[in-house]
Amino acid sequence: MIKIGILIDKYHLENKVTEFLEYIKSKAEITIYIEESYLFNSSKFDFDEDLFFTKAKGELILAFIKLIEEESSIPIINSYKGTWLAINRFLNSVFLKKAGIPLAEFSLNPKGSDPPFRDFIIKNIIDQKNYKFKPIVNKVNGRLNVADERALNEVDKTDPKYNYLYYQKFIKSKWEYKIYGIGEEVFFYKQLPILVNPNKTESRKKIDDIPELKEYCYKAMEVMDLKLTSLDFLKSKDQFYLTDINCTPNFNYIKDGHKIVANYLLKQAKQ
Amino acid sequence: MNIGILSKRTTMLTGRLKNCLESKGFNISIYTLDNLVINQNLLNQDFYILKSKNLFFLYAGYFLEANGIPVIPKPDISFIQKHRIHSNFLMKKIGLTTPEIYLGTIDTFKKQFSVEDFPFILKPLMGSGSKGVKIIRTLKDLNSKGKTILYLEKFVKGIHYTVYFIGDEICTLIKPPLSDEHVDMKLIETPDDIQDLITKWRNYFNGDLLFGHLDIVREESNNKLYVVDPGSFPEFTNWKCRGSPIENICKLILEKYEYIKKK
Repeated sequence: MIKIGILIDKYHLENKVTEFLEYIKSKAEITIYIEESYLFNSSKFDFDEDLFFTKAKGELILAFIKLIEEESSIPIINSYKGTWLAINRFLNSVFLKKAGIPLAEFSLNPKGSDPPFRDFIIKNIIDQKNYKFKPIVNKVNGRLNVADERALNEVDKTDPKYNYLYYQKFIKSKWEYKIYGIGEEVFFYKQLPILVNPNKTESRKKIDDIPELKEYCYKAMEVMDLKLTSLDFLKSKDQFYLTDINCTPNFNYIKDGHKIVANYLLKQAKQ
Repeated sequence: MNIGILSKRTTMLTGRLKNCLESKGFNISIYTLDNLVINQNLLNQDFYILKSKNLFFLYAGYFLEANGIPVIPKPDISFIQKHRIHSNFLMKKIGLTTPEIYLGTIDTFKKQFSVEDFPFILKPLMGSGSKGVKIIRTLKDLNSKGKTILYLEKFVKGIHYTVYFIGDEICTLIKPPLSDEHVDMKLIETPDDIQDLITKWRNYFNGDLLFGHLDIVREESNNKLYVVDPGSFPEFTNWKCRGSPIENICKLILEKYEYIKKK
């Protein structure tokens, strides 16, 4: 029987993978490694899994991925590079822009220094913790200023504490496009932007393939070495702009998403 | 020529580097965390010197490289040395010995460590030098919140060295355990095994590692050398060997830039 190791944190284990686990456990032998209770030891390597699947992005999980990559040829989805770049918002912006994917303009500024564009959204620097986007909307001197509570906490209150803010140019868009890449398959959805309707699933609908977005999705997956991802795009004046990329997408939003992901992992494990 | 220096301070080695480069006729701008804005406006220098390895200087370095502006040392080289997991795996790959490392929450450590496993050294995951470094003799020495992932290294008992290198020149000093670079250290003749270790380390980077240092411990019981901390751009406070560190660093950086430009 195929052996799959799942690297996960408590939050994802308790909230996001019930159906997925039930399904994959009927097809493969599963070992679950939980970030909050696993002891990572750099000199211990006795894994015999055919594949590892990551559903978390904390520091211990990153070290675990690195260990697997350095000490074995066991495939791991997603890779260290993909996970690391996905959580470092500024770095993935730099590399995706270089690869020719249209991105909303961005700038990394010390607190108190305005970005070089009028309307903006402030996002967190390192997207590593499990937390919902909580927008704080202000209009300052005619400028639209949206901030993610996490980003402000990083600067003002709690750990991690930085002196910097990641600014992204605000793109006014009727729809937000959610694109899921699972191996070679790409799934397309759209929903009202969260600032218009905070209940993101209410307006979400499946849409036909958009070849341009499919191409960007493949390109982003290649540049960042991601096998499993979700991307957010906004559209203004017929131009799409990538605003977010995620390495641990919530595949429950896709019809039979848990089966699609599980079958993809099983196929990769057999190769 | 316009040169930018990415540094957390404007004084000490950075200040001396600026003076050295200005005396050769170059225009120098220092970017600290107070004035560093990472966007297209940074692309106005011919090249940058990455003095400090704070996350935002590394981001700036990657941004500059992606936009075709040379950065010396390369951001990747600095990052590998700043991030303890990366440096640990890299050392192993090169064939150097490092202490065993452990990651986990305090609860995990409580459940899985026994008294004889101690002592450890607690270190920040991203860091260099002695900041945030503490010896952990028992579980009581660990203070942290429940979910925080802690990084521990097995404590190696022995002689502690700081080994500087600038180009081919190696300068070996004995230092008090867990001390920073600035305490007084005793110069010794570089032992052959340390010389070999530094050569192995430098060779891996194929000419891109112009200078730096390694903190090494020689284990008391078996004489084995453990690398416990690499550093890509030390202050060279304790350089007690031939030549002026600042003049040599200046020279190596300018030579490297000329080499990159020609390529």
